[in-house]
Amino acid sequence: MPSEVIYEPIEDFGLSERSRNKTLFSKIGVVGCGLVGQNIARVASFYGIEVVFIEVNEEKIREAYKNIEKVLDERIEHWGITLGEKRAILSRIKGTLDYHDLKGCDFVIEAIRAVDRGGKIKERKEIFRKIEEVVDPECIIATHSTTIVITELSSDLKYRDRCISLHFFVNHQEARIIEVVRGLYTTDDSYQKVCKFVALINRKIIPVQESAGLVSVRIFVVMLNEACEVLMEGISNIEDVDQLMRIGFGMRLGPFELADKMGLDKVLRWMDNIYNEFGDVRYKPNPYLRRLVRAKHFGVESGEGFYKYDENSRRILTSDRKGC
Amino acid sequence: MKILVLNCGSSSIKYQLFNMIDRKVIAKGGIEKLGMKGSFLKHTRHDGQTVIFEGEILDHKIGVEYILGVLTSAKHGCLKTLSEIDAVGHRVVHGGERFNSSVLLTDEVLSEVTKCIDIAPLHNPPNLRGIQAMEELIPGIPQVGVFDTAFHQTMEPKAYMYGIPYTLYKKYGIRRYGFHGTSHRYVSKRACDVLGVDYYTQKIITCHLGNGASITAIKNGKSIDTSMGFTPIEGLVMGTRSGDLDVGVVHFIMEKEEIGIKSASTLFNKHAGMLGITGISSDMREIEMAAANGNERATLALEMYNYRVKKYIGSYIAALGGLDILVMTGGIGENADTTREGVLSGLEYLGINIDFEKNKGFRKEGLISSSDSKVKVIVVPTDEELMIALDTEQIVSEGKKL
Repeated sequence: MPSEVIYEPIEDFGLSERSRNKTLFSKIGVVGCGLVGQNIARVASFYGIEVVFIEVNEEKIREAYKNIEKVLDERIEHWGITLGEKRAILSRIKGTLDYHDLKGCDFVIEAIRAVDRGGKIKERKEIFRKIEEVVDPECIIATHSTTIVITELSSDLKYRDRCISLHFFVNHQEARIIEVVRGLYTTDDSYQKVCKFVALINRKIIPVQESAGLVSVRIFVVMLNEACEVLMEGISNIEDVDQLMRIGFGMRLGPFELADKMGLDKVLRWMDNIYNEFGDVRYKPNPYLRRLVRAKHFGVESGEGFYKYDENSRRILTSDRKGC
Repeated sequence: MKILVLNCGSSSIKYQLFNMIDRKVIAKGGIEKLGMKGSFLKHTRHDGQTVIFEGEILDHKIGVEYILGVLTSAKHGCLKTLSEIDAVGHRVVHGGERFNSSVLLTDEVLSEVTKCIDIAPLHNPPNLRGIQAMEELIPGIPQVGVFDTAFHQTMEPKAYMYGIPYTLYKKYGIRRYGFHGTSHRYVSKRACDVLGVDYYTQKIITCHLGNGASITAIKNGKSIDTSMGFTPIEGLVMGTRSGDLDVGVVHFIMEKEEIGIKSASTLFNKHAGMLGITGISSDMREIEMAAANGNERATLALEMYNYRVKKYIGSYIAALGGLDILVMTGGIGENADTTREGVLSGLEYLGINIDFEKNKGFRKEGLISSSDSKVKVIVVPTDEELMIALDTEQIVSEGKKL
């Protein structure tokens, strides 16, 4: 009996030519690997997609890897995945400084940190341009921006019909839903492709018209502003407001808990942007929130926001208050 | 008659091509990592040569197409044209309450199988995709579905109902279905053939001990009880599944660990069982090695494994009102002599006398009970693919339901 294994390329053995097609979304790119970028990379890789992420220096790349690994470890600890799955997920994610590594991607999303972008459209247009230089004309170029409109971002590109805006929810892992915004130039073809991608990573699509703050952010900031107002007026306290919204309305997290998780600096920037866009006082950041951000109380990440957190991001409970 | 047997999983397709004249396998193989990076097709030719075909295999249809392409290729194949394949037999995991035997897959049958997706969301969809792919690639070819649950449809309500509100059974079909039916049916019949006794007068217990494991009580050719239930988690301690568990534990863990339904499912399906107890592996050989090196948890896991099987054997003897034949099968049942010894020792008062000398290193078909044993204990290597091929042959040649 022959013992050597023979290797063959499978493409020569199909019954038809059709099988030679390249897999769509076998590789995607993420530019900027902060909290959101890490989340997208991790989720895509979990569903078997190869991910290349771009960062500005080696330090940031290491940090991204470390954070992704930390989340995966947490998920193992909470029985979500196995050790083998973690290894497989990490092996599919590659960090790099070089935009040329995005070559061959079918989908690239810009998700640079809120702090780095500071709402500056120019920088992000530059990123879009750099992406376009290396990828194929069919490659979807997306942004993870909620307050900057995609039509404007894509206006300088050569093929702007493939630009789209996606908003992932990174606050908890069960949030399998994505807001998708078509720009003025976005074609049906590009939109359908994005739908396919979203289905691949097991998320649901909510189509939203182009508008600053989309739906989720716009509604959330108003709710948070109102919650802060309630505090300022001395009507209630942080914990009670959260509890009411959580238990009363069946929300997973109350507005303050949610804001702490999202990062108060980010929420504040959202508010400023939406307020600038619409000029409605409903969106004007509440002074209480601004005060917290000035004091660098950004929420879970900085250890303090509306609540205090220990080094494991667990909330430090204040036990002196008990409900009656 | 040449029959292709397909077993389509969510990320794999296994196949065997049978020549029914001598019931021999002409070619076999499988696709792994289907729809993922690094997918490949591993094919074993008639001459024993292994060939690995590497490349993108996107979905079940393309997978099936490649399998047919390889089987008909001049270089590695064994068929001149696709028309040489007379019929296709599919393993279908869940047949619900509708199917108590293998069946020719007509449009009407397929729509019934589609209805079972609700109770087998992981398994039935890929099975169906394989069937559809085959119909598209060889239109009109007779296809037969062989259900994992069908053999156990003879269970009486007293065995298959759970002690939960009856309306839940009515609403969602929540009851015990059992799995591995094709294997239990094959090995129990085969054991009777080997022993030369009438299948329809015997009391048989079949232990299918593999990575997934279940045990079935068969009376006069009918399954009367089996250890897996609504899902394959119930029953024995398995490689990574917990087996029987107090329901109270489930919500206690979910509350304490703050996990949701999905994580809980992963916990009991993938982190539990032998892997969870030992923290080493789900592989019996590795656990036995660790136990031999003095690892206490490995020893504990092995004891738990054996004890659970033994307990089930005892309860099934009571349910059957006696026992004539006990069959060991599956990767562990066929190969792990220490497990067999651990499970079957100390049962002499039930008429089970093992020839422990013979049992040592026994890895083929044959008796391992002593000549004076009232109960015949026999090792039968399982062959679900052959069973599927035989069912397919019979249904196709008779042109009707079994």
